[in-house]
Amino acid sequence: MKRLGTTTRWIVFAIAAFVMNFPVLATLITAFKAPGEVTRNPSLWIEQPTLENFAAVLTVSDRLNIYHYLWNSLAAATIGAVLPIALCFPIAWAMARRGTGRGVLFPLVVNLRAVPLIIFAIPLYMMYSALGLLDTRFGLGLILAVVNLPLALMLLVNAVSEIPLELEEAARMDGARLPRILTRIVLPLCRPAFVTTFVFGFITAWNEFLFGLMLTTQNAVPVTVGASFFFATSGGGVQWGMAAAVMIVAALPPLALGLIMYRRISWSMVTGAVKG
Amino acid sequence: MQNRERRENAVLASPLVLFLVAILGFPVILSVIYGFSETSFTTLTSPKFNGLDNFRRVLADQDFWQAVSFSLRFGVICAVAQCVLGLFLAVYLAPLIRRHGWMVAILIIPMIVAPAMMGLMYRLVLHEFAGPIPYYMYALFGWSPSFLNAQNVFTTVVVAETLQWTPFAFLLFLTAYQSIPQDLREAAAVDGTRPWRMFRKIELPLMAPTLFVALFIRFIDGFRVFDNIYTLVGAGPGGATTSMSIYIYEAFLRQGDIGRALAAAILLFGSAFLLLALAQLFMRRAT
Repeated sequence: MKRLGTTTRWIVFAIAAFVMNFPVLATLITAFKAPGEVTRNPSLWIEQPTLENFAAVLTVSDRLNIYHYLWNSLAAATIGAVLPIALCFPIAWAMARRGTGRGVLFPLVVNLRAVPLIIFAIPLYMMYSALGLLDTRFGLGLILAVVNLPLALMLLVNAVSEIPLELEEAARMDGARLPRILTRIVLPLCRPAFVTTFVFGFITAWNEFLFGLMLTTQNAVPVTVGASFFFATSGGGVQWGMAAAVMIVAALPPLALGLIMYRRISWSMVTGAVKG
Repeated sequence: MQNRERRENAVLASPLVLFLVAILGFPVILSVIYGFSETSFTTLTSPKFNGLDNFRRVLADQDFWQAVSFSLRFGVICAVAQCVLGLFLAVYLAPLIRRHGWMVAILIIPMIVAPAMMGLMYRLVLHEFAGPIPYYMYALFGWSPSFLNAQNVFTTVVVAETLQWTPFAFLLFLTAYQSIPQDLREAAAVDGTRPWRMFRKIELPLMAPTLFVALFIRFIDGFRVFDNIYTLVGAGPGGATTSMSIYIYEAFLRQGDIGRALAAAILLFGSAFLLLALAQLFMRRAT
């Protein structure tokens, strides 16, 4: 009886995993099919596995330079992940220890999570075009940082409040001033939280699409948008094998990070949701 | 002493506050100015005040109301579907997951893939010549619906969104389920409580706050949906999949109607704000 229950659970798990991951799985399989095979054999079975598509995608041509898109994504996502940590760390300490900004600033930032991003996209477009920030990796990174602010603030406030107060008090007894306490005691102890915040923010920023679509045209196009160009510009016939390979390459960095750190990712998602 | 602390707090808060003012403060002002003016891309520097004209045009636009209706239906259906599926998976698989933590990693993969990529992947998967789903439909049933026509496209995008974000609800419920004290279950089991009754009378009530949070977050995310629908079908046949976000995007970049786009954005912001305030009021009442 017990054994039967366990078997059914495994079956349910297998079905759920297969159905929910089906698009990713099918894309992965298509990426290994030869160009001629894709439309002749759309099944999940590969007759002649080939690396041809990946070779084509990873070769620079005048139609596609994937390294350009990847570099844009990497640069913008790094800014978008690091900046929120730097901005939130000092005030996170004050919020956790002194309740500073708990009334207005904290809810304001946290509620940004629920605001439809398109609202900011239009005025930012106008502001960026006035400041010359349109189509720059820096400009894209700045707005990706806004997207990541809510979770960064929540995770860092959470991290600071878990540090034992005695450590700070002992340092204060020894005559250490606030800047010293923050950099020598609080900062090192927050390192795990920084890593979590960075990884989560990097994945979110890498996966962002709307701002990339609206605020970049050429120089700073991130890979999510670049991949969709590939579908649009290939005219009548999309080269499905290559398109699949582009998507796999574009999805790989966040997937690799996410799978390595899935415990932290899932933990921070839950924290973000419950505290918000 | 008091004064020094206040000064310190101001210094500590300043990076975040200045950043928010710079990158969100100006846009808000711009939104208000242009939302109440007549502008196009050629007359950006000289907006002409026209009062509530833009808002009147938005509210009289049938496409706008179609987008509102789409976003509401999409948000509600997806949120409910995701929470039901996620709750089931979390509770049903919890005994296995306690011994095999890696299962969680497999189930959250869809969340780590960019929604925009997911939309493109569905284009491939559903394509009539290259897609495995139509292929297997033909092989098994000799027939396949066209998933992206006006009649089916709503169901298709709902299913795509639900399959991608059920893991999120699953994760929330799994955490809530695992944090129910074990002795509570044991005590009930000693009293002879059957599993289904245990779920309904003990576990579900304890998970109610999580259920509410999950429903709300998933609704908001569905309500503001853009990426995956845009990359899969765009505005859809006859505007069938035009969400609020897509409506605003189209009005701005395709039609160059800045005033109408901003007026719609301001209305969207207002409604999001209202929903948020209501939800938080409700949460406070409940707890």
